[in-house]
Amino acid sequence: MCVSGISSDTGVSMVNALRWWWGILLAFSLLAAARLVAPLPFVIEVIIFSIYTMGCNFLLGRVGFISFGQPAYLAAGAYGTAFYLFYFGTDPYVGILVGVLSGLAVSAIVGPLFVRLRSDYFALVNLALAGIIYYLMQKVLAGITKGDNGLWFLTRIASNPVLDLGKPGQFFIFAMLVAVAVWALYKYLDDSIFGACCLATKLNEDKLEFIGYSNYRVRLLAFVVANTTTALAGAMYAVYLGFVSPEITSPHRAPDPVVVTILGGTGTLYGPIVGAVAYTGMKDAISKVIGNWELFIGFLLVFIMLAGEKGIWGSLAPRLEKLFSWRKAGTAGGDGGEARR
Amino acid sequence: MPPERSAATANHEILAVKGLNVSYGASKVLFDVGLSVRPREIVACVGRNGAGKSTLLKTIAGFLKPDSGSIRSGQTSLAGLKSYEIARMGIKYVPQDKKVFSDLTVRENLELGSYASKDYDWERITGYFPKLKQLMDRKGGYLSGGERQMLMIGRALLGRPQALLVDEPAEGLAPSIVSHLREVLRELSAHTALVLVEQNLPLVCAIASRVYALKEGRVVAELADRESIRPDVCERYL
Repeated sequence: MCVSGISSDTGVSMVNALRWWWGILLAFSLLAAARLVAPLPFVIEVIIFSIYTMGCNFLLGRVGFISFGQPAYLAAGAYGTAFYLFYFGTDPYVGILVGVLSGLAVSAIVGPLFVRLRSDYFALVNLALAGIIYYLMQKVLAGITKGDNGLWFLTRIASNPVLDLGKPGQFFIFAMLVAVAVWALYKYLDDSIFGACCLATKLNEDKLEFIGYSNYRVRLLAFVVANTTTALAGAMYAVYLGFVSPEITSPHRAPDPVVVTILGGTGTLYGPIVGAVAYTGMKDAISKVIGNWELFIGFLLVFIMLAGEKGIWGSLAPRLEKLFSWRKAGTAGGDGGEARR
Repeated sequence: MPPERSAATANHEILAVKGLNVSYGASKVLFDVGLSVRPREIVACVGRNGAGKSTLLKTIAGFLKPDSGSIRSGQTSLAGLKSYEIARMGIKYVPQDKKVFSDLTVRENLELGSYASKDYDWERITGYFPKLKQLMDRKGGYLSGGERQMLMIGRALLGRPQALLVDEPAEGLAPSIVSHLREVLRELSAHTALVLVEQNLPLVCAIASRVYALKEGRVVAELADRESIRPDVCERYL
């Protein structure tokens, strides 16, 4: 964001932009390369999980809202897509669009009420919403959601000559493209006045109002953007699996995106990708050799959090930047600098 | 220019506070406080700690809701408006604590002010505070108290506010910075009315055109002529 005459010159800005794109292309190239050595379902899950986490990461790292209700918005996206593909149509792209719009609608309905709350109440009310949606999908609306049996629509997904989302290999390419686009969106938001407003409302909400901004509007917009991203992840899960059940919004899965956000590095742009790789990788690797893998992962996460509260990328980034002299001398660093890496 | 801002012309008071009563819960802090600010005036509120000076500014800025009384800017009532709406009308508040957005750089702090006010004339701001020019890429958390004060006042000046409410601007600052601030405030008053809450009586008496002395939440004196605005006179009311 450079709006003044006293800003960095265009050359430096271009170099910075190239550096960012180089970084993200490298990260996603590594994910693409992982396909050669890791099972495709694992890589696809990492990609969708990283999209799921990006919204949570923005809320927590930028706005200061911790949400234990992300499965609610994930379910809004997943069920929106599932209802379309099960009852109305066969085009997976339209299904994903319906899922995203469902998430947008749910966020826009509950957002005006939720964003007025303090962060601790915000966390709990979102958890309650996840519980409500779980119960709705499992019991109250069982007639149309098929309850615990879920909605199965894999065979109804129509093929497409460009990218056939019914085929895992082509879905993988689609997921990569979406993930890069979502990452670019958050990079843009981070660098915009809106991103600065979000960080400012986290740091000192009163002062933001004294400058002339409405905290409420800033928070509401951030909430809607973040949860619509979460719904997009839900819609992608639905198309990929061809199946949705109430399990997707189960409250016991509620801490997952928060854990992945903190594990990766709260407020960092690469954190969601790194966190998703680490978390999904640990789950996948450990569950193959240990029966009670949840217990083991719990202890491992406690250890990782205690060892470095900045998360994996938050701890690694300063070392990498030092190593490659990425950072321009005299800029940034120190407290909260990770929010922009 | 928004209609609200044009309402306060040279013929109107930029701020007119009448019969203001404010409480924190059951504890009443301001009692029937009145205050008047005209264009290009520097109005100072003096008083001991707890006299209600900061509460008065916070209430005008929309941060606190008054129990009763009126706050007007030109023909517009400020009572009931949100603090960001009052800021957009051109009545900017600079709080006492000198806490800027610590994770944002000086540039980003100014950009926030610019975007909200649609005023990108940073040359004017760095004209008042040349040091800010060298600190553009430094994060707010790494600025000294004086630099933070410059940034906060500079950011508030974006949008050319009609009134600036500044809470204890000299508190904790070195004498050289205070004297620079004094000159800046004097220059600013050519375009912007200033309401200062300040305990530094020499500073107040050097620049103020009107002084209100507050004691235990009440205005006990209004000094409106330069002859009577002297530290020894002000001190009598503290």
